[in-house]
Amino acid sequence: MALGKRRKKSERQREARQWWEEFYSRLVKIFVVILGITVLVNIIKRDSSFSEAENRMLAGRPELTWESVKSGKYMSEFESYVSDQFFMRNQWITLKLYQDKLIGKRESNGVYLGKKGYLMEVPNDPDWENVERNVKEISAFAKRNSDITTYMCLVPNASYILKDKMPYGAPARDQAKDIRKVHNMAGDAVKKIDVTAALQKHAKEDIYYKTDHHWTSLGAYYAFEKLAAELKISNPESDYNVYTVADDFQGTLASKSGYHRSKDIVQVYEPKKQNKEYVVMYVEEGEKSTSIYDRESLKEKDKYTVFFGGNHARIDISTTQKARKNLLLFKDSYANCMVQFLLPYYQNIVIIDPRYFYESVDNIIESYSITDILFLYNVDTFLGDNSIADVLADD
Amino acid sequence: MIFSSVFFVYVFLPIVLLAYFLVPRKFKNLVILIASLIFYAWGEPIYVVLMVFSIVYNYITGIEIEYHRSEGQKRRARTVFWIAVAVNLSVLGFFKYYGFLLQNLNRILPVDIPYRALPLPIGISFYTFQTLSYVIDVYKGNVAVQKNLIYFGTYISMFPQLIAGPIVRYADVEQQLANRRESFSKIGNGIAWFLRGVGKKVLLANNIGMAYDAIAALPNQDVSVLTAWIGCAAYTFQIYFDFSGYSDMAIGLGKMFGFDFIKNFDYPYTSSSITEFWRRWHMSLGTWFREYVYIPLGGNRVSKGKNIRNIFVVWMLTGLWHGAAWNFIFWGLYYGVLLFLEKYLLKDVLERLPGFVKHIYTMVFVMLGWVFFFSPSMGSAFRYIGRMFGIGAHGLVDATAVYYLYNYILLFVVLILCSVPYTYRKFTRFMLQKKSYCGIAVALYVVMFVLSTAYLVNATYNPFLYFRF
Repeated sequence: MALGKRRKKSERQREARQWWEEFYSRLVKIFVVILGITVLVNIIKRDSSFSEAENRMLAGRPELTWESVKSGKYMSEFESYVSDQFFMRNQWITLKLYQDKLIGKRESNGVYLGKKGYLMEVPNDPDWENVERNVKEISAFAKRNSDITTYMCLVPNASYILKDKMPYGAPARDQAKDIRKVHNMAGDAVKKIDVTAALQKHAKEDIYYKTDHHWTSLGAYYAFEKLAAELKISNPESDYNVYTVADDFQGTLASKSGYHRSKDIVQVYEPKKQNKEYVVMYVEEGEKSTSIYDRESLKEKDKYTVFFGGNHARIDISTTQKARKNLLLFKDSYANCMVQFLLPYYQNIVIIDPRYFYESVDNIIESYSITDILFLYNVDTFLGDNSIADVLADD
Repeated sequence: MIFSSVFFVYVFLPIVLLAYFLVPRKFKNLVILIASLIFYAWGEPIYVVLMVFSIVYNYITGIEIEYHRSEGQKRRARTVFWIAVAVNLSVLGFFKYYGFLLQNLNRILPVDIPYRALPLPIGISFYTFQTLSYVIDVYKGNVAVQKNLIYFGTYISMFPQLIAGPIVRYADVEQQLANRRESFSKIGNGIAWFLRGVGKKVLLANNIGMAYDAIAALPNQDVSVLTAWIGCAAYTFQIYFDFSGYSDMAIGLGKMFGFDFIKNFDYPYTSSSITEFWRRWHMSLGTWFREYVYIPLGGNRVSKGKNIRNIFVVWMLTGLWHGAAWNFIFWGLYYGVLLFLEKYLLKDVLERLPGFVKHIYTMVFVMLGWVFFFSPSMGSAFRYIGRMFGIGAHGLVDATAVYYLYNYILLFVVLILCSVPYTYRKFTRFMLQKKSYCGIAVALYVVMFVLSTAYLVNATYNPFLYFRF
């Protein structure tokens, strides 16, 4: 009996040993095959230079020099090269996203995966020292030009306005609080325009793109209603021809997160009655146009650039408006789709993007007899900006 | 170069494996040596010089000690030995602790010595300890001197365990350097270890690390008690799966080349006392300190007072080894105190407690320990611990806590399952039932490999945000 048991046990051990041997030998074979095939495919596969999904040039094979090896540059570039040129790169990335989703993640690469296909950027933590420097300069600038009214309008981002589209409980900055804080810093020299409530009222509508970090023209329009009153625009237009210029827009957040599940439409608004003729001058580029819209951009991935073809250091717009109102607009890209609404009411609009503009603004104020100054930014960009102070500094 | 990268797995490793198995036996160590130096130089093109110096210097030292001893010049052997210890520790000290030392000197003395903290050569803490184990054991006559420079260089620089251990004592691999046999089974076993390690690091550690990063980045006033605990638990799992995953990869790679390294982790989070935890956590480091510090100081075969001193010396050094900051020293001493208490005061109390209470006790103190590990300063560590117990916290539970819990609950379950031996044992037992299940087991490993590769490729996912502004 005992003998039988022992034999049975040794029998089992033998079987287990056989099992492991079988397992290991199969594992070796398949591992060698996988490595071998991967290496071969990666060698044979032709390098692609551009990734559509990531919208960037992929790393190429680095050049081997003594200097680059010594500094370690060659090695890190070679690693990027191998990773960037890995076969079926996009499919691997998609697989990774599926895994993330499977384990229940609601966040990808700094983007919240919201409800109803909404992607929303996780707002950055502000560098308040920098913000204070900027706001101080804005305030000093307003005091220097006390005969002109200086307005400031900070637009909250989707993660704050579209709270009910956020993943439940996802942390987001209280941007109303941030705006109040900035307003307090700015003091009385600057007139503040708060469009938060106006946007919140329409939070159920498509006022932000689902796949992009900008607001839509519709969102800008609701803010414009509020702005018009504050900027003393008499009789603002309320009747527009709305043209849908793209219906397959997948913006920055789709790229950043890797989730390409929704598509946005891009619309432009044309006033029905107060339609003015105008000329757009891209000063730095030395180009002129009779439209603020850039048709070519609609063929690109980035369809929000239909407004002015993107950001420019300085854009001057002259219209056929008779009234002598001239606007100086400091802005980020949120303002790009606001200009279509502001345009009919000013004779000249000078648009400055401080991130790209390095000249003096005092000349502009004089030569255009500026009557209104507006700082129009989204909160996230404004709190992260480090260019405003330098452009405004009195020198 | 790190193991968990596309470059290592799909370029470096295949080339090295191919070269290793193509060359005749007598060149195999040379292949490993060359591969190791390239591996090291890949990330540290300048510091590889330091590594070469370390190899040559300690190689000569070993021979010198041996020579003096064979000539009967004991004192000379001792001098050479202590100089070698001093040189090795000075190199480590210079690169690792110089900045820390001056920073503190400037703080307590009325001077302001300018200094520039040097970038730490990767793995220096690990390979210095390996070198010391050789020098000490040669001096004590525990191992024979290594006369083959290539073999010695292979031991010091061996890339599988070069940058994150395990700390392999020379005595453990002395024989293997000269004779070892690679076999199909051993290579397969190595691959299994390696793939498990990759999975642990890439699928588990990195993913839960994101939870920790996100929570650590929250403004302090937005952290509730639950959030603080989730963050701490996330780090607790991250550091275990990261470190043990890396060790597993090292052990696996070693096996592919015919080496057997000792295991470095043995399900530490199942421990029911702190003493047990340290027998299961980073075992090679514990062994090293026991062999080369604790026992030479007299260990526990001395008076109670001296034993207590020995405990604290070892634990202060253990803390310091982990990094040049007061946090780490405190963290080491924290364990010194806990181990001292367990040994002299709590022993009987602990034994009478039910198992789950012992387990909770252990985990709570281990988790609190990690707070000192992950916090940038002592102050922030205490504030974090405060929040874990409601001081300065944003309530007990808030929406943010629920968000993170909901996001990561599934992962936490997986992490817990992978932290206990039960799961793997059950898996093996099930698979062993039938011969035909063998294929399923292989398939599961392949799936794990594929899933990990997706994360590796994604590591350079770097969309250019055209209109980012």
